[in-house]
Amino acid sequence: MVALPKQIEVEESYLHGGGILGWLTTIDHKRIAVLYGVTTLFFFLVGGVEALLMRTQLARPDNTVLSAYLYNEMFTMHGTTMIFLVVMPAGLGFFSNFVVPLQIGARDVAFPRLNALSYWIFLFGAIVLNIGWFHNLSPDAGWFGYANLTERYYSPGANLDFWSLGLLISGVSSVLSGLNLLTTVINMRAPGMTFMRMPLFVWSVMVMFVLILVAFPPLTVGLIFLVLDRFFDTHFYRVVAGATPLLWQHLFWLFGHPEVYIMVLPAFGIMSEIVPTFSRKPLYGYPAMAYSTALIGFLSYGVWAHHMFAVGMGPVADSAFALTSMLIAIPTGIKIFSWIATMWGGDLKMKTAFLYALAFIVQFTAGGLSGIMHAQPPIDLQQTDSYFVVAHFHYVLFGGSAFALLGGLYYWWPKVTGRLLDERLGKLNFWTMVIGFNLTFFPMHILGAEGMPRRIYHYAPDMGWNLMNLLATIGAFTMAFSALILLINMLKSIRGGELSGPDPWDGRNLEWKVPSPPPEYNFREIPLVRARDQFWHDKYGYEGGATPAAPAPAHPLEEGGAIHMPAPSIYPILIAAGLTMGVVGMMLWIRVAVCGAFLTAFCAIAMGFEYANAGAEDEKQIGAATGLDTRKVGVWAFIGSESLFFASLIATYLIYKGKDLGGPTAETILEVGLTTTTTFILLMSSLTMVLAQDSFRRGDRSWGLRWLIATIILGSLFLGGQAYEFDSFFRKGLTLQTNLFGQTFYTMVGFHGAHVTVGVIILLALAAASWTGWFERRHRDIAVECAALYWHFVDIVWIVIFSIVYLMRSVAKA
Amino acid sequence: MSAGFAVDRKRKPRAGGLSEYCGCEYSAMNARGGRRQAGNKGPSLALICLVKRLRQRAAASFKSPIFAILPLTAILLCACDPSSFPASTFTPRSDLAHWVLAVYFEVIGWDSIILILICTLVFLCLTRYSTRASEDQPKPPPPHPESLGLEIAWTMGPALILLFIAVPSLRIVFRSQSPAPAPNALIINVTAHQWWWQFDYPSMGIHTANEAHIPAGRQVRFLLRSADVIHSFWVPAMGGKRDVIPGHVNELTFTPSAPGNYIGECAEFCGLSHANMRFRIIVQTPVAFDDWRANQSGGPHQPALAAAKAGERIYMTSACTTCHAIAGYSSGYIGPNLTHFGSRHTFAGSTLINSPQNVAAWIENPQALKPGAQMPALGLRGRELSELVAYLESLK
Amino acid sequence: MNSQAQTAEAAHEPSRTLAYVVVAGLLAVLTAMEVWVSYIHALGVVLVPLLVVLSGAKFALVVLFYMHLHYDSWAFSVIFVPALMLAMTVVVILLFLMIRFFEGF
Repeated sequence: MVALPKQIEVEESYLHGGGILGWLTTIDHKRIAVLYGVTTLFFFLVGGVEALLMRTQLARPDNTVLSAYLYNEMFTMHGTTMIFLVVMPAGLGFFSNFVVPLQIGARDVAFPRLNALSYWIFLFGAIVLNIGWFHNLSPDAGWFGYANLTERYYSPGANLDFWSLGLLISGVSSVLSGLNLLTTVINMRAPGMTFMRMPLFVWSVMVMFVLILVAFPPLTVGLIFLVLDRFFDTHFYRVVAGATPLLWQHLFWLFGHPEVYIMVLPAFGIMSEIVPTFSRKPLYGYPAMAYSTALIGFLSYGVWAHHMFAVGMGPVADSAFALTSMLIAIPTGIKIFSWIATMWGGDLKMKTAFLYALAFIVQFTAGGLSGIMHAQPPIDLQQTDSYFVVAHFHYVLFGGSAFALLGGLYYWWPKVTGRLLDERLGKLNFWTMVIGFNLTFFPMHILGAEGMPRRIYHYAPDMGWNLMNLLATIGAFTMAFSALILLINMLKSIRGGELSGPDPWDGRNLEWKVPSPPPEYNFREIPLVRARDQFWHDKYGYEGGATPAAPAPAHPLEEGGAIHMPAPSIYPILIAAGLTMGVVGMMLWIRVAVCGAFLTAFCAIAMGFEYANAGAEDEKQIGAATGLDTRKVGVWAFIGSESLFFASLIATYLIYKGKDLGGPTAETILEVGLTTTTTFILLMSSLTMVLAQDSFRRGDRSWGLRWLIATIILGSLFLGGQAYEFDSFFRKGLTLQTNLFGQTFYTMVGFHGAHVTVGVIILLALAAASWTGWFERRHRDIAVECAALYWHFVDIVWIVIFSIVYLMRSVAKA
Repeated sequence: MSAGFAVDRKRKPRAGGLSEYCGCEYSAMNARGGRRQAGNKGPSLALICLVKRLRQRAAASFKSPIFAILPLTAILLCACDPSSFPASTFTPRSDLAHWVLAVYFEVIGWDSIILILICTLVFLCLTRYSTRASEDQPKPPPPHPESLGLEIAWTMGPALILLFIAVPSLRIVFRSQSPAPAPNALIINVTAHQWWWQFDYPSMGIHTANEAHIPAGRQVRFLLRSADVIHSFWVPAMGGKRDVIPGHVNELTFTPSAPGNYIGECAEFCGLSHANMRFRIIVQTPVAFDDWRANQSGGPHQPALAAAKAGERIYMTSACTTCHAIAGYSSGYIGPNLTHFGSRHTFAGSTLINSPQNVAAWIENPQALKPGAQMPALGLRGRELSELVAYLESLK
Repeated sequence: MNSQAQTAEAAHEPSRTLAYVVVAGLLAVLTAMEVWVSYIHALGVVLVPLLVVLSGAKFALVVLFYMHLHYDSWAFSVIFVPALMLAMTVVVILLFLMIRFFEGF
């Protein structure tokens, strides 16, 4: 454990006390960030070793260090690990988690228990992804696992079961994390911290949170289809049933390209902290930087098909996606130029963190420029799936993201541990890393231009690839050496590095105001924010000398210096364990799955009550800067994310409509009469729900309960109708495996039914809790409101499904 | 590798050879394709030709010669020597490849300018503004003026550059993807298998594998189908790849411009032996192509030697016939058609030279040479094996 | 203290019960219309846009009144509406790309 700095006497560090159990049950955002940090560091080493093994194999032509099978496992797990278990959780779980609350002047994230839950789910997902190594059954179809190679027929082993289930689990974690942190940024800002006063790091990661919420649902849907195909013999990606493997590519890249920005945006944010701090100047062109961040996020969602130019989507689609892809270069250019303009005329301090930032600018630009190349469909046809692309995305994600993350590590390490990293070792680390990085990846451009495809486990000696491959291997080992120095530096610092004090870099934002390491509650008093770079102004005064007026909080702050922090909770880790047992058990032992499901449900309800009745937290639930209720913000963000989930299901249904090769279809099997009745029942349940909510709000508990029970009954009736309908379809010979209509219909309507079921369970719990008077009234009202929002959302989804599936049953596609 | 036979992996195939640069003919293969072996006129001549050619291309590809001296361009041009880099993307040998390369060079030019600009700016910042000794003395914060004009400039500048890039690039997109096929276009049906390529010429009744012969100067339409998973059809010298998607017919059309032996590769990861799924596009003069066609569209040659005759009997009675076709003898379709196996330069996904030694090693243990290959080891040994090999090699 | 203030506030607000019931009536009528038009074969190509309008109206009614976007802070609309637009755009673009793919261009 970290040897605690001595200077902290008055305010106790968040690292202090608790023992092992304290870390397992912690819901403090800083401790969770440290857990994320340690985990990502571990997987960084794992992914690095995988890369080294690959580079060893490719050092010479026709090498036999690794077999074809092992090599395929290596590159699959290297990509999957670095993306899902290193760069993304480092940006999301470590940096965002640690820094965001400190920078916006909050004591914790919006939902601390959810935060812990995210971490444990992430950890268990990571274990599932990697567990195959123990039986040499690791995933081996590439990090984007193109269907139909991933189907059971072509990949019969358990390799891709671990992959698909592991990604599903860790996807849940990312969405929960993004939801939590987005709500935090929206609603937990200190009074006066308007959006245009937020540090640009917060801006960048806020856009990343939004991207996570809208990008993961398509991946989740794609993975669900894959799991159904592999375990239940459906045909979502199988040509024999009239489906096409291209659907996977669309769903995957709908996630995959935003994912690139999910990995790069935190890097942009870190850059926008490091560059101004070490230039002693405010960030140049703050508004343009903020808007360009948002624009990058928006555009990144509309470019996914540029990964598919070689598919042959036709010239119109190719051109459209080429243009949107090129457009991203403009806001990105604004960022690069603004960082340079920030440095221009500043007092540059050559600390390791700043060196990493400088390398980022050059290397990320190089990566971005090669990206401009394959944004051109003709050039892409030569470059895609060659080593040129490998070079490109490593320049962006390693030379860019990872360099910025390493810079951020040097930058915030003192805040995390209270001790500085050694600068001399740091510079050695930096220079070996820069040299190693460029030595590894620059030759790959040339290899790509020389026609070397990616993902080949060996190559012939007469292709002209020998020298460049050897150079790349030497570079890779240089980077490994550099990583070793980094580890030594970190260990040395923990063992007794120089104490940093609260503000070692002459920082600009609020995190440098609090002690290093910060106390558990971050701020003794919630700061009032009068300007951008508040802490800088606290130190150096305001321009023109006049201090701006203090902002008025939208909601009164806590009084009397009493600081309430939520108590640790054992439930997050138990829920995550249950969830993992449920998912993995389905694959291996069904009894484990059932136990897992019960554990999850029980702990989820218990945590819900623990959360709902944690009175001390209540005052924090109304945003000091917005006056909004945090829980409602969270539910709305969740609904936004769910919209994309159902959109992906609906899109799949529509894409496959009319492509069946036999069996009953919508036109022949659907009974509109029955479903009109159930639709009417569900619509009316929305009325009773809203009446229940209205009664509770007016203080009329008995009528509130009655309406609530009416809603539960109507919801159950709807579910009963659906069960009857499914049963009658089964009798008529329509199963999940019959045809494309069967699988898309059951999946979409089934997932809607599952949502209704969850809604009924939530309403039952609420009804029971209000019946017994277990809830305090203010908690009850807001809980009913949140449940109502979810219930109505399920209702509007049904409105769309009813129209598209039932009423348009006989519409053929043009 | 496998016991018994050492595998000859030392190949000397060269895409096109130096002939393009040197004006001399340089045999791509060990004279099997009826091509003359000619001497290499030495590296100095090659170098002179190379430089001359590069200069010509630079002048043709972009208006301003300044682009040619930019470092990134220079480094990437290193990949232009086809004798050292047989799969280079910088040696265009078709109309499509020329179009692609024109856009390629334009973007490389602009990219180099921008990269140099950014590097220069960062360098200038470092030399002009880095603080050294005075680090610890408190100083007032430096001034931080902002200029709207500058911000507009660095927004509009890149936008304009992108426009310059986009226009020619999208023109190529439309030109290369919606072509009215030439009336005399040669149609070749390509079927990708894990992990080899099947080539069928519907108009000529030719069925072959891993090596497609095409005449120079005539448009070729490759109609791409997959027998299993997604593959990608890539001949770097011919200008680009096209994915091969099960359940769908994709197309890649181009007109090869120069005879030569060009390496093709599967570019989409397609399973265990993805690395061993290559092929050759052999562009011939129309006359040579007609010779090849005449030979291929006929039935198999009758074995003349005694060993080959014995091998024919072994073939007919072995499991070979289940998967392989030899016109008039067997009609298996799981593996490559062997009717004119002996006429091919390479086999096994074009990863092995077609020599008796290699073929024998392959038959003895296919998995050792291509992990995951569907062909089983048949247990043929010694004399039987060499007779079978003799027969296969006689199928010219 | 805070919850008491909220209660007092709530008691003074006009009851929304009537509005809720009217919305429910509209939802029922719109559903009936939807089902009715879906049986008119003469509508041909008009059917789909017509159904989109009708179900869109139902959607909007629930979102605005039952989910309170009409009454609540605009901030919630800012969260939901872009997500909804994005979802619809994704469906349309995916459909466009895949239909063209199935047609073989």
